[in-house]
Amino acid sequence: MVSMRIRFLWLVLALMMLVLMLAWLHGADPAAVDLDAIFAAPSWAHPLGCDDLGRDLLARLAQGLRLSLLVAVVVIAISATVGITVGIFSAMQGGAIDALVMRLTDIVLSFPGILLAIALASMLEPGIGNLILALTVVGWTGFARLTRAQGLSLRRAPFVEAAMGLGVSPAVLSVRYLLPVMAAPLLVEASFGIAAVMIGEAGLSFLGIGVQPPMASLGTMIRDGARVMLVSPMLVFWPGMVLFFLVLAANLLGDALRDQLDCRAN
Amino acid sequence: MMARLILGRVMQSVPTLFGVVTLVFLLLHLVPGDPVDALLGETALPADRQALRHEMHLDQPLASQYIHYMRGLVRGDWGTSLVDHRPVLARIRERIGATAQLALVSLILAAGLALLLGYVAARHANRVLDYAAMGVSLCGISIPNFWLGPMLMLLFSLWLGWLPVSGNDQPGSIILPAITLGTALAAMLARLCRSCWLEAMQADSIMTARAMGVSERMIWFKMAARLAAIPVITAFALQLGAVLGGAVITETVFDWPGLGLLTVEAIQRRDYPLVQGCVLVIALWYLLANLLADLLGLLLDPRQRAGGE
Repeated sequence: MVSMRIRFLWLVLALMMLVLMLAWLHGADPAAVDLDAIFAAPSWAHPLGCDDLGRDLLARLAQGLRLSLLVAVVVIAISATVGITVGIFSAMQGGAIDALVMRLTDIVLSFPGILLAIALASMLEPGIGNLILALTVVGWTGFARLTRAQGLSLRRAPFVEAAMGLGVSPAVLSVRYLLPVMAAPLLVEASFGIAAVMIGEAGLSFLGIGVQPPMASLGTMIRDGARVMLVSPMLVFWPGMVLFFLVLAANLLGDALRDQLDCRAN
Repeated sequence: MMARLILGRVMQSVPTLFGVVTLVFLLLHLVPGDPVDALLGETALPADRQALRHEMHLDQPLASQYIHYMRGLVRGDWGTSLVDHRPVLARIRERIGATAQLALVSLILAAGLALLLGYVAARHANRVLDYAAMGVSLCGISIPNFWLGPMLMLLFSLWLGWLPVSGNDQPGSIILPAITLGTALAAMLARLCRSCWLEAMQADSIMTARAMGVSERMIWFKMAARLAAIPVITAFALQLGAVLGGAVITETVFDWPGLGLLTVEAIQRRDYPLVQGCVLVIALWYLLANLLADLLGLLLDPRQRAGGE
């Protein structure tokens, strides 16, 4: 089962690389409007055809794919850094700080799915920066809870007490001794997190409160494609397929890591 | 004993509830600059600006705005829509029924499908049918609902013409939105069903029953199913709330006149009080579902009762 997953994962990654490579070789501008090429069928000039403004679909797919990956990596990197820091601090300090952090995560987790991100993004000015902010506000809680739970059980472990007794500073203790022990479930959380963020980014962009035109996001491409799908169904089909495969890859990675590292996070 | 546990769990959600309300209140103050500028544009007359500021109580200090907001919530005055000047709560009340209907149908659909897939996978664990069923559910988890919706619409409504395109005024209108919303839930529940069923099959009581020659059918559908049911039921209760997250997008795709569509419409029209109201209702619904799930766990599972703090 694991090897099958990994093989499939490589296949998906290879496909995505292929899209990026082809778009790079082809070299079209994803934002270039060509009124003569509106709804153009696939051809050598436009391998996947053009959208309702005559923009090259392949180039836009590649841009959307890169953006999706970029947002996912940035959001998860920030979320993990914040969440892990807060989680360790909370577990080590205990008391009022710990209680406060737990209430904060409770509040964030009281909103189903990406609703909180939708609410935040709808109030802030639309754009990539605020999109990342909104998704991070939601994303850090998982890491914080996971780290805290592990930190609590490790706090009384002999090697931690020994290190503390020897006067190792809390920062060094956390980074050098605690983090490696806690890494497995955090990695699993991060892979599933990437899947969630990719859907979140595209979802917010689909609702018009994420990435703004003329930049291509898979979400906005799906929305714009759906409006003209009777004329040109491929305009909604391709961005969705790319997003589906990206999310599938992240979920496969999460499943494989979870089984391999034998942890029951998430 | 039981009553105290239940009361304790209910009390636990009070601070969270407070936090949620506070966060929803603060949302309005995230609007960059001044919400009044965003609403009226920069060319508005100072008198209009002042009037709207007064209508939204933005001319008062933050603390008294907060008290005013909380008092309003309790009294059932959730503010008025900035677009049509009707009470927010009335707008929400009109729409909540459609969302409840969609959520219920999706969940029933999801539960049926999940039990079927979960059973097939567990029964044929680590064989081809298991891989197939779990592959299907992995795809179900990974498929974005804002893409699945349009694709289903294209195939079944526009090309084949079997089902209505959107809205909720025709028979069969609910089918496509329910499938769109239910797919991810079904996939998640199917994975859970499989693992719970398999775990239950490891129980000592099942081994004994097998040794005593109890029929396989009896073992799978009565004994193991009963053991596996608790986590599945609580997960189902959780989904009663989680389904709303997906409903926002599904309703937008299919023009289903529920809370989710109302939220998105309010966002597009910058009707901030209505956005706040919708977000709050959805969060409250979700909190209630979580509470229900925990209480069901307490009621059904003696181990949780013993383990409770």
